[in-house]
Amino acid sequence: MSLTREELAAFADGELDPERHAEVERVVAADPELAREVAAHRALRARLSAHYAPILDDPVPEHLGALLQRQGNVVDLAKRRESQSAVRSGIPRWGWIAGPALAASLILALFIPRDTAYEGYAGKQVAAALNDQLVAAQPANARVRILLSFRDHSGAYCRAFAEAEQGGIACKDAQGWRVIDRLDGSNIESGVYRQAGSVRAELMAHAQEMAKGSALDAEQEAEAKRRLWQ
Amino acid sequence: MKGRETLSNRFEDGVVALLPRLRRFAIGLSRDWADGDDLCQITIERALTRRESYEPGTRLDSWMYRIMRNLWIDEQRARGRRSQTFVSEEAGVAIGALGAQDAAVQLGDVDRAMASLPDDQREAVLLVMVEGYTYREAAEIVGCPIGTLNSRLVRGREALLVKLGEAA
Repeated sequence: MSLTREELAAFADGELDPERHAEVERVVAADPELAREVAAHRALRARLSAHYAPILDDPVPEHLGALLQRQGNVVDLAKRRESQSAVRSGIPRWGWIAGPALAASLILALFIPRDTAYEGYAGKQVAAALNDQLVAAQPANARVRILLSFRDHSGAYCRAFAEAEQGGIACKDAQGWRVIDRLDGSNIESGVYRQAGSVRAELMAHAQEMAKGSALDAEQEAEAKRRLWQ
Repeated sequence: MKGRETLSNRFEDGVVALLPRLRRFAIGLSRDWADGDDLCQITIERALTRRESYEPGTRLDSWMYRIMRNLWIDEQRARGRRSQTFVSEEAGVAIGALGAQDAAVQLGDVDRAMASLPDDQREAVLLVMVEGYTYREAAEIVGCPIGTLNSRLVRGREALLVKLGEAA
């Protein structure tokens, strides 16, 4: 009996009709090499499904569920209008360019300090990253990661960054990178463990309040760097 | 209008119930949590505007998955045109690692192996081996003949077996 690779995989997946399944089963039972291949196919399936399973347990980001709640409110028209304008003025999509860097860095568990009095400017290491690193081109293992760049209402360049369990937003002025906003993992007195998604949403919300327009794309960012963020 | 409202709510409830699975597929396709959530968002938005084309009684999950994979393909094409947003394959892989909760965590073998597959094979592998669709259902979502789906799936899984070691 001839048996194609497709058929063998389909057998492992239980996709053959019962008659053919029984035939293949007999052939496989008599051939240790085929039996090993079938076992490998099944083990691969188990490994893949185990690999992606944690996503199902991760809490769905609030903004996704909210899209459906708002839209679902068809009874109260005034409320609906209100919510639709909320949707329109909601957090803009930052474009796909901001995504990859955020995912890698901000999945760290961060805490928002309640008593932040951080004043002043970024230290040497963070400043170096703010000066030199581009979101799309930074090394995957960079100690300080740049998450996204934008211009605030005064026209100054600002960049959100993450470093180990800390992160924040800094804007360039004549003195250097002034840290505007700081998320600090070392301060846990608020006792609130923040999901990575909500931290990200929080930082995005801060950036959105500060930003005029949307995040810089790779080209605009490279241009801003050439101009030394001035 | 009461009946319509009920129906409408059922549609939203159905989508809400699907969200964890939609996220899994989106993150699998885009190989990145943040991109995956963006993809989920535009999929939900599209589903809400196209809800009239959903036939009640048919499978909402397949309908949503189809919207999602089509949007993903559109996005891929758009990305190809925006060459300035190009991220090197290596950086893309590292950033997209599902296991990268901590930047220091080694990139998982499975992420690496999945990243090496062509898009059509990765999609077939995800639909059948992760999402658990039958070949027929997966082919309907992708919009291709079963034989095509089957051969993409076999090529994809054989490449994965080679990369991950046959013991998987």
